[in-house]
Amino acid sequence: MQVVRLVRASLALAALSMAAVSVAAVSVAAVSVAAVSVASSALAAEPKTSPTLKAVRERGVLVCGVNQGLPGFSTRAEDGSWSGFDVDFCRAVAAAIFDDPAKVRYVPLDAEKRFTALAGGEVDILSRNSTWTLGREIAHGIVFPAVTYYDGQGFMVRTAQPARSPLEFGGMKVCVQDNTTTASNAAAFFAANGVDAKLITSPDLKDAVKAYEDGRCDAFTSDVSQLHALRSAFAAPAEHAVLPDVISKEPLGPAVRQGDEGWALIAQWVHFAMVDAEEIGVDSQRIDQALASKRPAVRRLVGTDGHLGEGIGLSPDWAVRIVRRVGNYGEVFERNVGAGTKLGIPRGLNALWNAGGIQYAPPVE
Amino acid sequence: MPKRTFSLALLAAAGGLAAMLTLAVAAAPALAQGRAAPPPTMAIDDQPGYQPSAEEEELAPAWQRQLVFFRTTESPGTIIVHTAERFLYVVLGNNRALRYGIGVGREGFQWQGLKTIVRKAEWPDWTPPAEMIARQPYLPRFMAGGPGNPMGARALYIGGTVYRIHGTNQPQTIGHAVSSGCFRLVNHDIIDLYDRIPVGTRVVVRQAPEL
Repeated sequence: MQVVRLVRASLALAALSMAAVSVAAVSVAAVSVAAVSVASSALAAEPKTSPTLKAVRERGVLVCGVNQGLPGFSTRAEDGSWSGFDVDFCRAVAAAIFDDPAKVRYVPLDAEKRFTALAGGEVDILSRNSTWTLGREIAHGIVFPAVTYYDGQGFMVRTAQPARSPLEFGGMKVCVQDNTTTASNAAAFFAANGVDAKLITSPDLKDAVKAYEDGRCDAFTSDVSQLHALRSAFAAPAEHAVLPDVISKEPLGPAVRQGDEGWALIAQWVHFAMVDAEEIGVDSQRIDQALASKRPAVRRLVGTDGHLGEGIGLSPDWAVRIVRRVGNYGEVFERNVGAGTKLGIPRGLNALWNAGGIQYAPPVE
Repeated sequence: MPKRTFSLALLAAAGGLAAMLTLAVAAAPALAQGRAAPPPTMAIDDQPGYQPSAEEEELAPAWQRQLVFFRTTESPGTIIVHTAERFLYVVLGNNRALRYGIGVGREGFQWQGLKTIVRKAEWPDWTPPAEMIARQPYLPRFMAGGPGNPMGARALYIGGTVYRIHGTNQPQTIGHAVSSGCFRLVNHDIIDLYDRIPVGTRVVVRQAPEL
C-alpha cells in the first residue's frame, strides 16, 4: 500500500493539469486500440491502463466517497442501503466493472475531509456534490473528469407577486445567507444589471429561510437544487416558484486522483455513456431492443459493433451493463431529483444539449 | 470560499427540515421509476359528455404550466413539442420557456418536423374519425363544441396535417401516451396557450429517437 501511494504521488506530480491528462489519455487509447487487435481478451482480463481499476478488481468492490446525507443526492436508508443521484454514479461505475451495481462500499465523508480522503487513497472515487474548480484540482492533486450536475445560483419567489425574473426585482427585498459567495454573487448581479434590490442577510441558512417564509423578503436566493429542496419542505410549495434564471456556475461531478489517467477515463466515459444513451434513446427498459438495433450509434454504444470498452479496461458491453443496471442519465435524474420526486427539479441546465440544456457528451465511436 | 462548504450540504444541517426531506425523498424513487422512458399507452377511451371537476383539473406539480430554463435557437413565440417528455414549450427568449404538461395520442407520435398554426377555434366541434367509430361504436358521429367535448375548450390547427393541439375533458391523461388524439392540454392550459399563440406560429415537433 505504501509503495502504491508513492507511485501515485509521483504520477500526480507528472500530470498536474487537464491538458496533460488529455494528452496521456489519447496515447493510452492509441496503445490500447493497437493492443486490442493483437490480444483483446488478454487486455480485458488484465488491463494495464489503470492501477486503481486493477486494485478495485482485486478487492472485488468499488470504494466510493459520498455525502453523509443529502436528499435526492445521497441518502442511507434504515436498512443501510444507499440511494441518490451521486450514489447512482458509484453504482454505474460498479456496474461497468462488475456488471453488479451492488459491489460498492460507501464511505460517508463530510465537506472538510472529502478531498483528503480521496487524495490519501481511502476511496477510489469521490461522488459527493462537489464543485469542480481549478484550485481544488491543484490543491489536492485530483481531477474532475465530468460534470454530472450543473447547479448554479437562482431565485425563489412567491407566485403571487408579479416579478418573473431577477431583472424585475427593483424595490424588492431578497433574503440570503450572510458571508457566502451566494450573497456576493447576488449583490454583483444586481449592481451589474442596475437592479435596485435590497439584500437582507442572516448569519445562518435557517434564519434566512425563516425570514423569507415570514414574509420579511419577497425573494430568496441560493443554489437552484437547494431552492427546490427548501421549497419542497414549505407548507404550501405551490405558492412559491423557482425562477429559471441561473446567475452562477456550480458544476458538480465526481473526482479521482491525478496520475491514473485510465481510471479518470473510466469515470468520464461512464458519465458520457449515460448521457449518450439518453440522447440516442437507449434506456433500461429498452436495452434488449437496443442490443438488436441496426443504428450505427446504438451498435457502437452497446458493443454490438466494435470493442471500445476494452480500450478503457472494461468489457465490450460496459455501457449495456450501466444502462441495464442503473439507467441512462435521464432515468437517473428523474428517479432521484426529477419532476416525479419530492424535490421536483426540472431538467433545466441538465437537459440534453438538444433539448434545452447543456448536458453534452462526446460520442462513443 | 465559505459557500462551497454549504452548497447543498446545508440541508443536512437544517435539522428537522432535513429529516422531513429525507423521509419524503426516500419514498420518491419508486414513484418516479422509469419516468424518463416513455410509459406504456394509457388505455382510456374518450368520454364524451364527461365534465371534470376543478380538483381533477389541478395537475401534479410537474405537469403544471411553469417558466423553465430552456436554451434554443428557435425564435421567441415558437412552440416546441417534446413528445417523449410530454411537454410543450413556448419559447420566450433569454433562455426561458413556458412549459405545459401534455398528453400525446397515437397520432402525435407519427411525425416530427416544422409546421405552422393555420387556424384557431374556441370550443371546437368533434367528429370522431371512422376508425375510432369502428373501435367504439357507441360514440356519437358528431358532437357540438362545449364543456364535456373531448376536444376541450380550444384547438390550434397544425397546417398541412390533420393534427391539432387541443384541450381535453380527461385531465388524468396529461403526462401520458393516450390511445387517441394528438397533443392535448388541460382546458385552463389550452385557453392560456390559445391567448398567446397567433395564427402563423411555428410548431416544432420532436420525437424520441428510434432504436
